This record gives sequence, C-alpha cells and structure tokens, in this order.
Amino acid sequence: MAIDTIHKKHRNTSLIKWIRQNKAGYLFILPALIVYAIFFIYPFFGSIYLSLTDWNGVNPQKIFVGIDNYVQMINDSLMWKSLYHNIIWVIIGTLAPIIIGLILAVLLWSKNTKGRNLFRTIYFMPVVLSPVVVGIIWGWVYNPIYGMLNRALDIIGLGNLSRGWLGDPDLALFMVLIAAIWSYFGFCLVIFLAGLQSVEMELFDAAKIDGANSWQQFINVTVPQLSHVLTMIIAYTMIGGFNIFDIVFIMTEGGPANSTELIATYTYKQSFQLNSVGYGAALSMAMTFLSLVASVIFLKLREKGEA
Amino acid sequence: MGKLTNQIIKYTVLIIFALIALTPIVIMWMAALKSSSEIFKDPFALPTVLHWENLVKAWTVGRFRQYLGNTLLITIPTVAAVVSLSCLAGYAFGKLKFTGSKAVFFIFLLGLMVPFQSIMIPLYYGLRDLKLLGSLWAMILPATALGLPFGIFLMQAFFHGLPAELADAARVDGCDEFNVFLKIMLPLAGPAVSTLIVFQFMWTWNAFLMPLLFLNRETLRPIALGLMFFSGRYTTNYGLMAAGVTLTTLPLIMIYIIFQRQFMRGLTAGALKG
Repeated sequence: MAIDTIHKKHRNTSLIKWIRQNKAGYLFILPALIVYAIFFIYPFFGSIYLSLTDWNGVNPQKIFVGIDNYVQMINDSLMWKSLYHNIIWVIIGTLAPIIIGLILAVLLWSKNTKGRNLFRTIYFMPVVLSPVVVGIIWGWVYNPIYGMLNRALDIIGLGNLSRGWLGDPDLALFMVLIAAIWSYFGFCLVIFLAGLQSVEMELFDAAKIDGANSWQQFINVTVPQLSHVLTMIIAYTMIGGFNIFDIVFIMTEGGPANSTELIATYTYKQSFQLNSVGYGAALSMAMTFLSLVASVIFLKLREKGEA
Repeated sequence: MGKLTNQIIKYTVLIIFALIALTPIVIMWMAALKSSSEIFKDPFALPTVLHWENLVKAWTVGRFRQYLGNTLLITIPTVAAVVSLSCLAGYAFGKLKFTGSKAVFFIFLLGLMVPFQSIMIPLYYGLRDLKLLGSLWAMILPATALGLPFGIFLMQAFFHGLPAELADAARVDGCDEFNVFLKIMLPLAGPAVSTLIVFQFMWTWNAFLMPLLFLNRETLRPIALGLMFFSGRYTTNYGLMAAGVTLTTLPLIMIYIIFQRQFMRGLTAGALKG
C-alpha cells in the first residue's frame, strides 16, 4: 500500500513536471492545430474513405466497395489520356519557363545592364495576375474573330495560318501551355536572379584566364553554381504541373474533345459534374500520390546536393 | 565591334520579352476604354474616344463593386488568421522545446506537399452539412487551414534564426512565455510577417477553385470567380469584358508595384533557404 502511494505520488509529480515543460509549446500551436485538424487533416482522411465507396453525393447511404474505384481508374482510358497530358504539361511547362527565366536572369545580371529593376518589374507583372485573368486575356489573344494573334499574323502576311487556336484539338494544349508559361517565366527569373547574387565571381575570372567563352562560362560556371536553386524550382514547378487546374478550366474546360483534359479537370468533372463522388475521390488520391512522389524525389535530391 | 553586337543582342532579347510580358495586359486595359466596334476593327489601335462608361457599367451592372467587397471580406480575415496563427505556432516550433514538436511540425509540412484536391470533396459536403456554404466562412476557414503550412514553415525558419539570448534575459526578469513572444520576439519579425502577408494576400485574392466550389451563390462570389461568370455573360460586349478584367487586375498590379520589395524578398528568402 505504502509503496503504491509513493509510486502514485512520484508519477503525479513527473506528470506535473511534464505538463509544466510542455504547456507553453502546446498552447502556442493549439489554435493553428485546431483549424488545421478540422479543415485539413479530417477531410484528408475523409477523401481516403470516400475513395473506397460508391456514392453520388445525394444518397444517405455510401456503399463501401473496397478498391473498386482504383481498379476502375486503371481501366479508364480517359484517366490515362489526362495523365499523358499532365506529363506533357510537366515537361514543357517546367523546361520552357526555366530556360527563358535563366537566360533573361543571366542577361540582366551581366555587367553594366541598364534598367535592371525596370525589366525585372515588367517580367514579374504577369506572375501577380490571377489565373482567371490570364485565361481571359489569352482567350482574347487566341480568339478567331478579333484575336490579336490572327491579326498579328495578318499584318506580317501569314494570314493563311490564322485559325481558332483553342478549338483545334491538336493545338489547344500547347496554346494553353503558352499562356501558362507567359504567366510564370518571371517567377523563375526572380528566383534565378536571387541565386546569382551568391555566385562567386573569382570562378569567372579563372574561367576567363583559361580562355572560356561566354557560353562555356555559362554552362561550366553559372549553371553548376545555381544547382541548388535549380533543383528547388524544378521540383516546385513539377508539383504544380501535376495539380494544374485554374487556367485550363477557364480557357478550355478540358476540351475540345478532351484534348486538354488533365487529372485535375477530370477529377473536378467526375466529383462535381457527374456526381461520381467515390470515383472522384479516388482520382484526387492519385493526384495526391503524384505530388507526394515529386516531393520525395525533390527532398532526396536536395539531401544529395547538401551532402 | 564584337562587344557592341553582344550589347545589341542582349537588349533586343530583353526588350522583346518585356513586350511579350506587357502587350496583352496593356491591350486589355486599352480595350476597356474602347467601344466593341473599335476593338473589332483593330485590337492594337489606341482608343479614339475614351469610353469610361465601360468601367462604370462593369462596376455597377456587372456587380464588380459587390465582387470586390466580397474579396476584401474574405481576404482580410484569412490573411489576419493565417499570420497570427502562423506566428504563434512558428514561434513554438522555432524556439520552444516540447515533446512531439518535430512530429507535429512534420504533419503541418505535409500540407505543403498535398494538393487542395485531396481535401476538396469531403470539405464540400462537410461545409454543406454545417450550413456554411451560404456564407463567406465557407472560404475563410479552409483557406486559413491551407495557408498554415507555408506560414508556419516561414515563421519557424525565421524565429529559429533569432538569437536566444534576448528571450532568456526577459525570462530571467520574470517575463512569462507569452509576453516574451509578444513583446520581445514578435516585434523583430517584421520582415517575415510582411512577406507572409503579401503571399497570403495574393493567394487568397487570386483563388479560383475554392470559391468555385464553396461560394457559388452569386452574392458571395469574389472577384476572380465573378470575372469568370461576367465574361461568360458578356461574351460579345468586348469593351465591357475588358473593363471587368481591368477592374480585377489594376488593384493587384498597383499593390505589386508598391510592395515590390516584399514580393522579391519573400521569393528570395524562400528560394535560398528552400
């Protein structure tokens, strides 16, 4: 008995000590944790659950179907088509703005460039616009009747090339990509300019003494020194490329003939227009999986870079 | 000679891309002051007569006054909530030692890696069941939750980098933990807080999918969503549509030009720490 009470007392004091040590920390994170748990963690598990059910969003009953939705997904040719478009999007939508941004950053950063800040301000301007605005502006550019692109082609004598750019299934995806690249290359540029601030100038002097020309300096000195920033931005852009929705939905809604259908637009349609909520949830989990894989690859690359 | 050609090539490339970046925006702004027939005749020409009535009509008939009001009523509380909750939590993760802090921090960071789509479906039905779909809270609350991972990540990194001596001195003087945070540490966090404000503001202002799902009632629409429906309704009135785009872009471009330093600093800090 006596020993028991002593144990209890001891346990109590250590509990009090534990509370005293941890109270402040938990009180500080509690408000954030409550909001995050209710509006993020809980619905996240809700998605996993819904992806295992057959539900139309209206019925009181959700029918548990196990992995049926995932099996359906593997056999769904439209899903594979969307994924294929996403992969095209990720490759071009990552390479193009990064190359443009890198070239412009190096040009701006080179000695005695005048108006550096003005150019930077202008290049970044499309970045702050909302995707809705970008979509509408470029919808105008491509418009077959009064669009700027057809008019410009007329003026330079290539009027026979004019067409309804977004109505052509072979071109639509690339046309939307161009709008996306337009609204993003300035972001890459600013990141690269920041990265170039920490480049060691001695290496350039050494390369010059060795007789390297500008292109060799760029490839052998500039790019390697930017490798950290490059991995960061490639990963960030790739993750975004798997989730892209706004601009495509506004410009084409996935059409014509599903030629711009992406995983995100397809998920939206299944979940909220066709009311296949369970299947939509499974598609959203596939998107999550792709983003997580891209994130993990990025983290591994960064660890490797730091080691 | 070679140097001169290099210079010419350099500025040509720089100017071409500046024109590519600017032309579509400027033509849209010009179109806002033109009549439909003028736009149809030559989209590149300067307006001959300034049709201010396009902007007036978009503001009133096009409901842009209401859209802008909704946007502010969503953006201000969301930014305030994300900033204050992120400062509190970021301070705890960056400066206080407590059991399980690493694990909880990691759970918040996972939020940076998963897309909004992973939570949108249950959120929609949950908000419907809570009867929140008819109010602006349907966006403010989830947008706050979605902003927290980045905010906490940013503030944790910032507070972690502050020297501990300041806080220790205050603690010896008998200051409790909350006052150490409020009176000593938070006043030093100005740069990080302004970065967070700028980013969260831009994300909330530009959000599209979330209001499309949760705020689809006409009287609740924020500006980006409103613009989409507006441009769908006035597809043939080009001047009016351009006026809508102008009313949506001008405030943001102005904020960007005023707070340029914060934009650039935020991006730079994120990139180099990454």
